[in-house]
Amino acid sequence: MGTAKPRPSGSRASVSKAHSFQALPEKTFIVDNGAYTLKAGFAPDYPPPEDEEKALSACATIPNAIVKTRENRIYVGSQLNTHVTDWNEVSFRRPVEKGYIVNWEAQKEVWEQSFFDEKTVRGNDLRITDPEDTTLVLTEAPNGLPALQKNADEIVMEEWGFGGYYRSLGPPLNAWNELNALFGDSVVREADSVVTPRECLLVIDSGYSHTTVTPVYRGQPLQRAVRRLDLGGKHLTNYLKEMVSVRQYNMVDETYIMNEVKEAVCYVSNNFVGDLEQSWKGNRKRGLAESNEGVTVDYVLPDPNAGKKGFMRPHDPLLNAKKRKGALSGTSAEAFSEDALILGNERFTVPEILFTPSDIGMKQAGIPDIVLQSLAVLPTGLHPAFLANVLVVGGNSLLPGFMERLETELRQLASVECVVRVRCSQDPIRSTWLGASRFATNREELKKVAITRQEYQEYGSSWAGRKFAGAL
Amino acid sequence: MYHVELLPGSTTHATPGWTYVPDRGFDPAKAAITPTIGRKRGIRDPGRTDLSSRQTNAIVRHLAELDRENHRDVHIPVPVRQKEPAAPRGTRTKTTSNVRRILQSQKTFRNYLDDEEAALASASTNQTNTTTTTTTTTANPLNRIAKPASTAKQTGTTTGPSSRASTAQPTPSAAPESTSPSAAAATTTPETGEAAAIAEEESKPNTTTLIRSEHDSNPLLRSYLPTAPSERIMQALLAEPPLTYNASRAGPPLAPRRSPRYFCCMCGYWGKIRCKNCHARTCGLTCYKVHEDSRCGAFF
Repeated sequence: MGTAKPRPSGSRASVSKAHSFQALPEKTFIVDNGAYTLKAGFAPDYPPPEDEEKALSACATIPNAIVKTRENRIYVGSQLNTHVTDWNEVSFRRPVEKGYIVNWEAQKEVWEQSFFDEKTVRGNDLRITDPEDTTLVLTEAPNGLPALQKNADEIVMEEWGFGGYYRSLGPPLNAWNELNALFGDSVVREADSVVTPRECLLVIDSGYSHTTVTPVYRGQPLQRAVRRLDLGGKHLTNYLKEMVSVRQYNMVDETYIMNEVKEAVCYVSNNFVGDLEQSWKGNRKRGLAESNEGVTVDYVLPDPNAGKKGFMRPHDPLLNAKKRKGALSGTSAEAFSEDALILGNERFTVPEILFTPSDIGMKQAGIPDIVLQSLAVLPTGLHPAFLANVLVVGGNSLLPGFMERLETELRQLASVECVVRVRCSQDPIRSTWLGASRFATNREELKKVAITRQEYQEYGSSWAGRKFAGAL
Repeated sequence: MYHVELLPGSTTHATPGWTYVPDRGFDPAKAAITPTIGRKRGIRDPGRTDLSSRQTNAIVRHLAELDRENHRDVHIPVPVRQKEPAAPRGTRTKTTSNVRRILQSQKTFRNYLDDEEAALASASTNQTNTTTTTTTTTANPLNRIAKPASTAKQTGTTTGPSSRASTAQPTPSAAPESTSPSAAAATTTPETGEAAAIAEEESKPNTTTLIRSEHDSNPLLRSYLPTAPSERIMQALLAEPPLTYNASRAGPPLAPRRSPRYFCCMCGYWGKIRCKNCHARTCGLTCYKVHEDSRCGAFF
């Protein structure tokens, strides 16, 4: 309440005049608050840059966590990228739980450090100097709890006091991206038309905490058809960690390293049975070692003392024998001091749970099935439109083979008459942010949904909640 | 008559596998989390369901394990930041009570979800206890939404033959329909379609787009295009409130195509044989021996 607000003199007329007086601030800051990383930056001016690279240069990806290292040092947010060198036994505290901001004490710390504190903000283009002159667009996962949404509204408006605020579901914002080229549609567009959302788009958002399927119609979600699979990147990492800990080294405390391993070696198999047969350990005894090399790889674990990073390399079945020989002769002990994990069927059985959750006993369907479950509650006339426009965002889509598998299985499940097109954003992690930034250039649309600070002060947080839910 | 009421509380149960839930029959969305049998006989032997409650508990525990952030419970405090002369805060006044309450709250997602479930459960019991008029009013919007979808499907099927008969001998009324190929393309790839085209097709099923064949008169072989819903239906769909957290959880597979797969607990290959003590799966004698020697956890 820093600026001198015209005091309402009691009559309704002056209130409505004051209401119309305060417009939405020109600058728009967008935060896509993921559980693993938050994607943030100022929206560009109209017209948005055509080049995706240029548009994304304003977006920074910051780890959304507070970590404690082995030496009991604590780092926040972007410090993780610069200050932490030894990732052994690092433990994490994440403000976002199951995809929703739960712990605002930690979230506030990360935000302060990333956007507000002039000493720690990386570069000037990311710093919010005066929140009163900034509109905040904050994304959330679908089907959030109203209590948590209310918390978010209250913190944003009362702690920082943003001049304008819009809390939106994340997946629908992808519909504002330039997708015609991605789907291969040739639509003639006028040069200076405003940015509009795609008419029908089915967004599969496979992130860190969960995977959601959201049908989006003209930029708005069809709420009754939003479905969620409670599996995400975190579960894959933990599952891999568990497997490796049972079979090879005890890695239960090495979440970060196992995440790196997962990103380096895991892939989604398009021939699960075949790959499993190929990676069978019995092949070795039968002298079929040649075929074994197709799947099995070694991952050399990082050595922070020597400053070495972990890396993947083809499997060397004679490595152990060489090591023993080297240790006996005592010659090249240095070269063999490294520790390596041998990864065979772990490479593809871990991401497989996204497609077959029953492999770990979960009574939920896989992603392609969930797409159909979601469509089942919509009119049949919409099915062809959504099946022909499936967009995948989120970090799990970076797993090799993920897109092929999804398209194949969806094609098998969908009815024959429907065209099935599954596409992945060029940058699936920042795609939602990019869509939001393009949406923000459409001032008219933004004005319809966003609230100003003055409105919040007049009507309160429950009104804001109803407004964002579309009930007003 | 007995009456068990669940009071809203913020406690969580450390033991996975059981919790008080209001029983409202079978709900596919909840089948993923709720153990179906709680009787003693279900512990060892799978009774009517495919899993014994012991196996269910093991799965629930495993899933809870996969959901963890760190292997151990650690407390990481927020680093103390040096008080600076309020430079970035500038015009902001002191924190409000809302902010203080939220920042000091140590509730987890589980706590919030329990609160939510309790609120929903108490709201629904209140509703059923009051007059039936309220239940009819709450049921109404659902009916209103469900009806257009079903009628749209019906118009697609029932008016099919009649309109097809009209296209066999082109009448003047069908002629303007066939002159708009863009509207015809909109049904197959409707991302290019416009609202007008959709509304037009809703009013009149556009069967001219299909390739005609001699089977069109056969009611079993006849193919038809589902019509895109009207603008009114789309507005009704868009205006719906979001589902609750639990209701949006995906259910079990629509058609269980294959029997569940089991993997060797040692090496990850197919789990062909089952340990007679602990029912863990192994792929063969090599893995089974290792399992029996070192890991078989059941001693009875």
